[in-house]
Amino acid sequence: MRKKVIAVLALVLAATAACTGSKGDGTSADGKVTIRWATWGTPEDLALMDEFSKDFMKRHPNIVLKLESVPDYENYHPKLLTQLTSKTAPDVFYVGDDNVGKFVAAGVLAPLNDKLASADSQSKPEDFFEGLYGGAKKDGKIYGVPNDCNPEVLWFDKKALAEAGITEDPAKLHESGQWTMAKYLEMNAKLKAAGKAGSIFWNWYGSTYSMISGFGGKVYDGGKFVATTDPKSRAALQTLAKGYQDKTFLSADNLPEGQGASTQFIKHQAGFYAGGRWVVDSLQKGGKENLANYDIVPFPSQTGSPMAGAVAASYLSLNKDTAHPKEAFIFLSEFVSAQGQAIRLKSGGAVPSIKGAENLVTSAGYPAHAKTFLDVRDTGFANYPEEVAVPKLTAEINDLLMKVWTGKVGFDEGMTQLQTLVSGKVG
Amino acid sequence: MTTVPQQRPTGWRKRDKWWAAAFLGPQVGGLLVFLVFPLGFAVVLSFMQWDGLTEASWVGFDNFRAQFADPEFGHAIWNTAKLGLITVPVGLGLALLIAVALNSVRGKTIYRVVYFLPVVTSSVAVAVMWKSILASGDYGILNNTAHDLFGVTLPDWLNSEQWVMVSVAVVTIWSSLGLNVVIFLAGLQTIPPQLMEAGRIDGASPARLFRSITLPMISPTLFFTMVVSVISSLQAFESVYILANPAHNDGARTIVYQVYDLGFKQFRFGLSSAAALILLVLTVAVTLIQFGAQKRFVHYEE
Amino acid sequence: MTAVAIQRPPRRRVPAGRIVLHTVLILGGLTMLFPFVWMVLTSFKSDQQMLLNPQEVLPEPWRAENYSDALTAAPFARAFWNSFYIAAITVTGTLITSAMAAYAFARIRFRGRGLLFGVFLATQMVPAQVTIVPLYLMMSKLGWVDTHLALIIPAMVNPFAVFLLRQFILAVPAELEDAGRIDGAGHWTIFWRIVLPNIRPGLGALGIIVFLGSWNSFFFPLIFLNTTELFTVPMLIAQFVGQHDLTSYGLVMAANVVTVVPMLIAFLIGQRRIINSLASSGLGGR
Repeated sequence: MRKKVIAVLALVLAATAACTGSKGDGTSADGKVTIRWATWGTPEDLALMDEFSKDFMKRHPNIVLKLESVPDYENYHPKLLTQLTSKTAPDVFYVGDDNVGKFVAAGVLAPLNDKLASADSQSKPEDFFEGLYGGAKKDGKIYGVPNDCNPEVLWFDKKALAEAGITEDPAKLHESGQWTMAKYLEMNAKLKAAGKAGSIFWNWYGSTYSMISGFGGKVYDGGKFVATTDPKSRAALQTLAKGYQDKTFLSADNLPEGQGASTQFIKHQAGFYAGGRWVVDSLQKGGKENLANYDIVPFPSQTGSPMAGAVAASYLSLNKDTAHPKEAFIFLSEFVSAQGQAIRLKSGGAVPSIKGAENLVTSAGYPAHAKTFLDVRDTGFANYPEEVAVPKLTAEINDLLMKVWTGKVGFDEGMTQLQTLVSGKVG
Repeated sequence: MTTVPQQRPTGWRKRDKWWAAAFLGPQVGGLLVFLVFPLGFAVVLSFMQWDGLTEASWVGFDNFRAQFADPEFGHAIWNTAKLGLITVPVGLGLALLIAVALNSVRGKTIYRVVYFLPVVTSSVAVAVMWKSILASGDYGILNNTAHDLFGVTLPDWLNSEQWVMVSVAVVTIWSSLGLNVVIFLAGLQTIPPQLMEAGRIDGASPARLFRSITLPMISPTLFFTMVVSVISSLQAFESVYILANPAHNDGARTIVYQVYDLGFKQFRFGLSSAAALILLVLTVAVTLIQFGAQKRFVHYEE
Repeated sequence: MTAVAIQRPPRRRVPAGRIVLHTVLILGGLTMLFPFVWMVLTSFKSDQQMLLNPQEVLPEPWRAENYSDALTAAPFARAFWNSFYIAAITVTGTLITSAMAAYAFARIRFRGRGLLFGVFLATQMVPAQVTIVPLYLMMSKLGWVDTHLALIIPAMVNPFAVFLLRQFILAVPAELEDAGRIDGAGHWTIFWRIVLPNIRPGLGALGIIVFLGSWNSFFFPLIFLNTTELFTVPMLIAQFVGQHDLTSYGLVMAANVVTVVPMLIAFLIGQRRIINSLASSGLGGR
């Protein structure tokens, strides 16, 4: 028995020795620098990142990239926070638009203005659309570069619209400047009358604030939260609440698993579905022949002329404490450059955040009005800096609004609570 | 518990404390480093305000007051209690029932194996399996079948506030049943057959035999499994985190989820630590109550 | 009618109670098996078939590509090896150290023994989530972040194991040790030669429990591991569950089957020993 145990112990020691690699500042004997960077993603996403990495390391033989991935978005920021707390965070990392404000305020991200302006930067600050910086820009300082984005548009289902007796094509109306809020709501009512859902929204700022913007209202004004006091904004929220309660609108968050938004949309049970370019992936699961039924249009406006819509973004940031700011920045700037985004986005899923990579979206040829993604991006806005500076505030706003949507809290009462919630936390 | 006769030569006594230190060293050392130190850290944090990134500041008992006033913490306590109140009695009751049934049939092995399968399946895998069954709508086979065969619309098990804890409880029971059955079976096999035989000759009904012989005889096993199940249901986290959606469903919020949410999602480590310490006190209290009650209900053989 | 009954030869009849018992047990068994069967069936379905209403039971066509897709998308072999050797080392370390501590609590007299044992039991009740931040700080100081040591070493500290083994050691007849002591054996010899061989069933049961705990653990690997090559099995499955609302169930289930099947096979091969050692432990206070 003793011999066996000793053998096991020896194995234990050997294995532990094997799994403790050398640690250090990431510079190895042959002068190579290791840059750690982190993101979230599915195996497919990560495969594309890997392709970029290989290409990058070929061009920069002195840099070794080490990707540290977390399976899903939900778990990503908790882990990043733990790493930042213990000063072991990667050199470069993704930050979601709902968390970036807090990291900026805590001073853990390196300002990038000077670096972006320098000669060896692959991309300049002005190459990115101003509205996309959102919470990553504070007092003129850039703390994160949008790596790609997802403009919130309305997908519509021609078959479902036809079945509800709607003959007009929203995209055509938009082209002729007649895509108005009134028209949109009228179509929703017809869809409802035909036994379908009018629109499906995810309960997040993208949909809610796009609607507010479509009514001509404001969410923040001079740093103050005005969504409940601005009459136009309030009207937008009231329209949403009413629509949710009479089932003209469905909330994708509340749809049963397996009867989810994409499923209903694929099955022609809803006329509109608010989402980004990633919806293409979902639609493809319904089969190729079905794809032609769908197209996109921006959120409507009161007048029919285009207005600013919401854009989901995430940022690539530089760790303030990185041991290799120079190499880390080379990676960062190439990753967000037009060329870098081209590699990562070739299978779709998102829209480039940088000027000059437009053909990535248009050359795919789907949906028919793919250019709308670019239009919304060019004039759109990422979540408000005021809101993302408070961790979880966006989530709390959404949770409260959900209670209003489902009728658990009356509209007026809900608005009062919302105002108290936000003004209590925003400056 | 048994006492050991202590008749040792006195020479032993002197060196014993060194031996004790050597034998306890690895576990006690590890305990200090990996449990006691983090706990101390949490105690200090519970009196502070800290976001993990910037300077912490002292706030006294504010965090505890805030937790007691927080309706979400109330939800969390209630949900956790609900989970425990279902999983412990139903789970142990079912396991005992099955063990008693198995104890009196042939072909135990195949049943044992079948009931034990979920125990060796990882919790993430279990969650994926059950999600596809409990999903309401088209993918969920349960609701789908109920709707097609009987025209009944069943609740949205994993997303509804009222039902989510029941669903989590069902899955928890499913995945731990086998282990409890095996433990109870072992307990049952230690009951001397003569005892049951004597009871039968006296004309006692099976129910009577169960109550007067089986139950008292396996009460120590029952007690042990109960203490363990109560603690694990008070600390339920992975089961709800992987299976349900506590971020958007207040009905799925357990105390440990609250601890996690406050700390890692909201960057409020002080509040998070306070919630954790309240849970710790609660756990110790519940366990002590069980140990107190043990004297009345648990039968130890001398 | 009655006459016939009387004429029947007096052989043992199958009691009705037994039939009821088996029926209940079989139904219960099917309930236990159903999720596994459903998982396997779903793993062969295409996305399009999942969208059908009503849902079909059998895959049509059987799509084996889900498996090849899943296997190529993630490094399963590596993850299996990682999970396995992490669990194996954790088990070995836990058994040795906790048996030693259990021996001290059961057989060595020292001041404060009862108090220390109480503290041991109480620490079992500290929720793990509260220890993450200090633990992470420590691990990063030690340079153990993104190594398997961060998972193995803390997992070896196991008050429950000490408690369980103490119960077993108490049940070892003291005469055995006394005999050894008269022969001049010290604590180490008694522990190694007399106590350990006598608590084998306990060690076996504990080993299985610790192994399963380590194998299934999801949260700590998620926080401590960064490098894909170091990932464990549960982390890989988590990666397959999609970001958007339309999960590719076929693919996820195929990945799930791939991770579940080896454990099931291992269990089926060793089931008699596994269950018997768990059973013989009784795990009770007796």
